[in-house]
Amino acid sequence: MLSLRPRLAALPRETRDTLFLLAVIAWVLLLQAGQLPVWCSALALALLLGRGWLALRQRALPHWSWRIALLGLALAATWLDYRTLLGQQPGVALVTLLLALKTLELRARRDAFVIFFLGFFVLLTRFFHSQSLPTALGIVVALLGLIAALVNAQLPLGRPPLLQSLRLAGRMMLLGTPLMLMLLLLLFPRLAPLWGLPADALGGRSGLSERMQVGQVARLALDSSLAFRVRFEGPPPAQDKLYFRGPVLSRFDGIEWLPAPLGAAAAGTVLRVEGEPVRYQVTLEPSQQHWLFVLEATAQTPVLPGYQPYVNAELQWFTERPLNELVRYEARSHIRFSYGLEATPGALQPMLALPAGYNPRTLALARQLRQEIEPASAAGRDAGAALVARALELLRQGGYRYTLEPGIYGRDSADEFWFDRRAGFCEHIAASFVILMRAAGLPARIVTGYQGGEHNPVDGYWSVRQSDAHAWAEVWLQGQGWTQVDPTAAVLPERIEGPQRLQPAAGLLADALIRVSPGLAVQLRQFWEAVNQRWNHWVLDYSQARQLDLLGRLGLPASGTDDLARLLSGLLAALSLAGAVWALRQGRGRDPWLDLLQLARHRLRQAGYPVTAQATPRQLARLLQADAASARRWPALQQWLLELERQRYDPASTRQLAELRRQARQLDWPPPSRPSVLR
Amino acid sequence: MRDPATGSLTAASNRRWQSGWRDWWLRRLPAGDQLELTQRNVYILPTGAGLLLGLTLLVLLVGSINYQLNLGYLLTFLIAGSALAALHLTHGNLNGLRLQLQPGDTVFAGQAATVRVTLHNPSRRPRWALALDWLLPAGTGQDRGPGPSADLPAQDRITLQLHLPVPRRGRHPLPPLRLESRFPLGSFRSWCWWRPAATLLVYPAPELRPPPLPLAAGSEEGRIAHSVAGDRDEWDGLRPWRRGDPLHWVAWKKVARQPEGGRDDWVCRDFVRPAGQRCWLDAAKSGLSDPEQRLSRLCAWVLAAEALELDYGLRLGALEIAPGHGAAQRQRCLEALALC
Repeated sequence: MLSLRPRLAALPRETRDTLFLLAVIAWVLLLQAGQLPVWCSALALALLLGRGWLALRQRALPHWSWRIALLGLALAATWLDYRTLLGQQPGVALVTLLLALKTLELRARRDAFVIFFLGFFVLLTRFFHSQSLPTALGIVVALLGLIAALVNAQLPLGRPPLLQSLRLAGRMMLLGTPLMLMLLLLLFPRLAPLWGLPADALGGRSGLSERMQVGQVARLALDSSLAFRVRFEGPPPAQDKLYFRGPVLSRFDGIEWLPAPLGAAAAGTVLRVEGEPVRYQVTLEPSQQHWLFVLEATAQTPVLPGYQPYVNAELQWFTERPLNELVRYEARSHIRFSYGLEATPGALQPMLALPAGYNPRTLALARQLRQEIEPASAAGRDAGAALVARALELLRQGGYRYTLEPGIYGRDSADEFWFDRRAGFCEHIAASFVILMRAAGLPARIVTGYQGGEHNPVDGYWSVRQSDAHAWAEVWLQGQGWTQVDPTAAVLPERIEGPQRLQPAAGLLADALIRVSPGLAVQLRQFWEAVNQRWNHWVLDYSQARQLDLLGRLGLPASGTDDLARLLSGLLAALSLAGAVWALRQGRGRDPWLDLLQLARHRLRQAGYPVTAQATPRQLARLLQADAASARRWPALQQWLLELERQRYDPASTRQLAELRRQARQLDWPPPSRPSVLR
Repeated sequence: MRDPATGSLTAASNRRWQSGWRDWWLRRLPAGDQLELTQRNVYILPTGAGLLLGLTLLVLLVGSINYQLNLGYLLTFLIAGSALAALHLTHGNLNGLRLQLQPGDTVFAGQAATVRVTLHNPSRRPRWALALDWLLPAGTGQDRGPGPSADLPAQDRITLQLHLPVPRRGRHPLPPLRLESRFPLGSFRSWCWWRPAATLLVYPAPELRPPPLPLAAGSEEGRIAHSVAGDRDEWDGLRPWRRGDPLHWVAWKKVARQPEGGRDDWVCRDFVRPAGQRCWLDAAKSGLSDPEQRLSRLCAWVLAAEALELDYGLRLGALEIAPGHGAAQRQRCLEALALC
């Protein structure tokens, strides 16, 4: 570091500027790295490094055929990866590569501008994937760097320090911020998308999925990113009641679990709720899916402005279009409920279906369990409940383990779980449990969603993360309807009841912090979450409704886009007018004292006194004094003129200029165009 | 495909329209050798890059709307706000400056005149990347490089030199000047047009190889003419080269032996000065019919006579300048030649 500064200072200006610009672009690419394929980041980085090397060695830029070849390579690689050049993701990759490629062609001023504008684009594409606070801060740094490089390019002379350009760029951004925030963020109408989004804008992000194959939720379990936040209006339900229901999977083809086909199992879906509802508000991160996560069970439609949520026969809530923005909805749920009591055997039939030829040992186990509970059911007790109890007992006592690394399962995953590996996470456990139940003749299905959450005492929100993704089972019991059974709780009660949660793999720094002071780590994390919540609330969740609401509170009632546009143009006009008035005043107002003196000169000249252009107040007073022809010598005016002089030149004078100006209006001035002219 | 002929015609008429508009505007400007830049005479418009930036912002805005990116709005508005601040800064970079023009020495036709412009920055903020240039009619100034540019610290002054090639003799008004700045982003161009009041006096170009001076009859015409022609035997010694000495007087061999140097280091032959010689330089007797060539020859003669320290007079049609010599005489004669 010590030797770097003099070496940087020794570089020629052009090299230094190029390296600075490359560093800024590298930062932009670093921000992008998470959402680009590895080859794309690597290629862009290689281009930047190569360009930096050329700059350091002060070599000539490569021939244009090189650039064409590299462009061809970029296009080909993008095509190979995405099979198209259109759409959002290939577009982002291409723009990023173009930005890196353009650095090889930095000749004219125009090239520099193209780099900056491409850079702005790339910054925007970052938001497709994350709009978090750290992202925003990273983007601000990148923008500062880009503008500083642009300023630097406009200083052709000498060797202006980079710090100066950075400072000026910062100043411009600061100057621009209030106006833009106040005017445009507050007043710019929030328009609906102008045209349909490309289809791939909705894919590509992990979250809970509509289909389940062993191993998929494991990846989520390690992902500590936020799924949604909840704030309960009253006391929150117990941790082990926090089941946020997501996709219900009831179709099994031996390998994969899928949701029921549309329209199936429509009968017997009556939901009866008891007791007081739990009221809460959910802030759902953009999921690109059309699922709403609500507590089990929710009878009333969640309140989500701009959407019309609906529920299906399996008690899952949907929106009519994918949620690609942060949304907030209010819901009421009942912890005590009964559901599907009157289901007909026909409706339950699909919940018993198992593909033939899979998991033979599990089928045998089911037959064995049925025989074991035969005496109980013969005694009049509910066979289904006994079956569930027996299976849970088996899970509890059969040496089954909860693990996040169960290894790769083969074709008969339930067999492997029950007999060979005896280890797995919620997905394995739930799926194996449901297969066993179905094999034993009990209607059962898998429910996925989120379980649990972390309470943040700083702002009272519960954070539910992707690592809280969970899969559990539902069985249909005579007289009880669909009943939730969480077989994972039997294997690892802590997973459900808390407070120990599966901690995501912490970073090196976080690891050290946790080791030094676990309390501090938790506090920091909670503080961070509270900040993030505010960020979400004020920035990401800032909808037109909030905009109008805020305006209303500021005393500017507006009811829609038209009003906003009118307000915006009105305010812009008012600001422009204010600017024009200010500019006019600036052009005129040189010196108010001189204006007063000028007034006195003018009046006396009009009165016929020989006033020179440079006459001082004292000279004017003498003219009045020496006026032999006039009976009056205007003593008050003389006094005023001397007072004017004193105001300017006597440090002891405390007279205010405004006072003199007022006196000037009240004074008795010599009348204009005197007949006798002094000679 | 566009017809190339029509295209160039359109471009030409476009240019004519542009320059016509500019001339009309320039005529309305008061002429002066001092100028204070204020709100009233500093103009500002977006550059091509600025328009491109506007387009970029529009695309960013559409992207933000389409993908409903709140941070996208923020980014777009932040860039737009910065650009707006840049607009203000670009204007402020010129506003408040004071310019003063000093026309340089008179020159001979064909040389480049030097004009000095002093830029004074009375304010407490520095000014950056100010570019000063002549505002020549569209199409004529394309082959020259850009004019000088400068950074100007706070409360400081700086003098820039501008060169103006003058092909013809006479008293020429200086062409209008333009002070321009694109600082800090290059997205806006603020400029001011300035019509200087000063004029430029241009003497005729001296003839390169003039015939001998027309000395009065009865004097030792032959001898002088001989020396002026540069006879090797007749010169008395060497003296430093002076402006106006014909090139064939230069002692090239001596010059070549010097290591290096400009015209200031040249030496040229010094000739016998016949004291008290007088000659009349008469346009009618110059032996040329073309009036401009005549003036060129007279100019060369005036320079030669001044170099020989002869007493010389000038007759230009009705105008007659009594014989004499010295700087004043030289100037009087050359001015007469320039302006007749």
